[in-house]
Amino acid sequence: MAKPAPATSDERAPAALEVRDLKVTFNTSTGAVPAVRGVDLVIRPGETLALLGESGSGKSVTARAIMGLHDQPHVDVRMERAMVGGRDLLAMTPENRRLLRGSAMTMVFQDALSALNPVLTIGDQIGELFRVHRGASRKEARERAVDLLELVGIPAARDRVRDYPHQFSGGMRQRILIAMAVALEPALLIADEPTTALDVTVQAQILRLIDRLRRELGTAVLLITHDLGVAAEVADRIAVMYAGRIVETSPVEDLYDRPAHPYTEALLAAIPDLDRPSSELLAIPGTPPRPGAVGAGCAFAPRCTRSTEICADRLPALTPLVGHPHRTAACHHTEEVLHAAVN
Amino acid sequence: MPPSTEPVLAAVDLHKTYGNRIFGKSGGVHAVAGVSLTLKAGETLGIVGESGCGKSTLARMLVGLERPDRGEVTFHGKPFASGRGSIPRDVRRRVQMVFQDPLTSLNPRMTVLEIIAEPLDVHGLAASRQARRAKVGELLELVGLAPELMNRFPHEFSGGQRQRIGIARALATEPEVIVCDEPVSALDMSVQAQVVNLLADLQRTLGVALVFIAHDLAVVRHVSHRVGVMYLGRMAELGPAAEVYGTPAHPYTKALLSAAPIPRPQARHRERVILAGDPPSPVDPPSGCRFRTRCHQAQDLCAEQAPELTGPHAHLAACHFSVPAA
Repeated sequence: MAKPAPATSDERAPAALEVRDLKVTFNTSTGAVPAVRGVDLVIRPGETLALLGESGSGKSVTARAIMGLHDQPHVDVRMERAMVGGRDLLAMTPENRRLLRGSAMTMVFQDALSALNPVLTIGDQIGELFRVHRGASRKEARERAVDLLELVGIPAARDRVRDYPHQFSGGMRQRILIAMAVALEPALLIADEPTTALDVTVQAQILRLIDRLRRELGTAVLLITHDLGVAAEVADRIAVMYAGRIVETSPVEDLYDRPAHPYTEALLAAIPDLDRPSSELLAIPGTPPRPGAVGAGCAFAPRCTRSTEICADRLPALTPLVGHPHRTAACHHTEEVLHAAVN
Repeated sequence: MPPSTEPVLAAVDLHKTYGNRIFGKSGGVHAVAGVSLTLKAGETLGIVGESGCGKSTLARMLVGLERPDRGEVTFHGKPFASGRGSIPRDVRRRVQMVFQDPLTSLNPRMTVLEIIAEPLDVHGLAASRQARRAKVGELLELVGLAPELMNRFPHEFSGGQRQRIGIARALATEPEVIVCDEPVSALDMSVQAQVVNLLADLQRTLGVALVFIAHDLAVVRHVSHRVGVMYLGRMAELGPAAEVYGTPAHPYTKALLSAAPIPRPQARHRERVILAGDPPSPVDPPSGCRFRTRCHQAQDLCAEQAPELTGPHAHLAACHFSVPAA
């Protein structure tokens, strides 16, 4: 995405999102499944953090837990600290937390058609935000809906507010969801695989739109994705998740040039690059572990080419890298991995 | 095995419209509207395109699962899949398919042995129970699975392993052509490479020709000798992979390549062509060139006349204003 070179994040401002030691456990009939096992996330205002992981890594569960969408009897969500835009979620009543959803923190889902109400017009659905959160009149709400549709680039917005979701294409629906997500200028926008269901030409439009709004409104973006390409296009920082834990965090350039975790290193070697076709991809052996079927040691150890005895026994902590102030990695062999990237 | 010159499979001017009998003359979905291609022995032909461009319909016509409304598919020069007659048995045996979703394309109530042995039974390729078992074991080893697993059911396997089972089933009849419809898109990225490498290895060792259909441009480039780019039921560009990707001749190919995310942050500031809007509906495609509504080069001619797929050498493009690569 085209964007001014320096990140617009401000180090001194309070973080748009700060989560410490997030744990999510699903209590199922076959036992407890720890889907997220201790995740820390900090995102500054105006910053885009990509949470990168495969299916089952816990990235969507993390996002939904932050939003408070897992508040159900069979799900156990624990956090040491949870701040959104300077407000402490843990000190709040459930009702006050609910009011933050849609205003201070918002979410864009992968499947825009099922995220929109099929029997309400787009104008009513966007307008509802202003009527509920801002107490706007019907007429004001409609006006703001038109403005928002124009903001996200929907042609003939004034006519189209009367249309229903099925009358829009996939890319347009995703634009509408994004319009609703930025309507009340949230501190944090969570985008959960926002372009996975879209075609590549439309994906480029949507990523560009999210990036433009982030710049204009100073919103912090948590982008959940499985696509290394998408993350490289828009993220300022990347957090790589594997089996319910973050295994590496890094500014975007460093991660792709010099991965610090063997999983990141292996992923980068396993994907074909459009500009550099090579004869053989270095496939990662095996498959990601099922949540709940993870041993005491490093979850990636069974698939890792660098694993030694210590990896099977001791869980590596996510620690800052020596000489790399903005990076962390959870691996007993980080030095080796960093060294290999240079050679 | 290097690609030979004799085509194994050829399609000539294929057309397929869905639903026109129910909705009358105007309501049909023009899924494929005039696609021709050839596939040589031992070659991989990649087909890329966005959803709704007709690539899956094309795949189904190539293996005879779907009858074209017009045009024909030939196997070693002999036409099949046209008219009313059933697909000849030797064509069904020699042209196989691997599907996108390995879970729904494997019968959940059959063991892996039964799944892979079914084509052997249908074509009478196993003389005895022992021979049948031995053959299934061989096929499983060929795709990198332990033969001991043959008595298990599909749900006991991971996504990547299931796709291997689907590939083993396709290989059972010793096909000359395998049509793979999005074989890796349902798989996790760390597993995709395993299946991509497996298909490439199988092609090298068995010399089978592949039609590899996917929306992931990088994966298609990685596996294909030649690549076809489809847009709204038509072939926009067709040629050797290095040329189509290196010097794209059709404006749609250029836009597609420029829209694809690149896993290198340094590439972020590259010049990009971002198309406006979404692909039009195949129910009511634009007149003339189907890409003209999103094309920055479109002129009056494009609305009047559909461009032919032509080119100087093996690199063809369907555009009135394409610049042939030097």
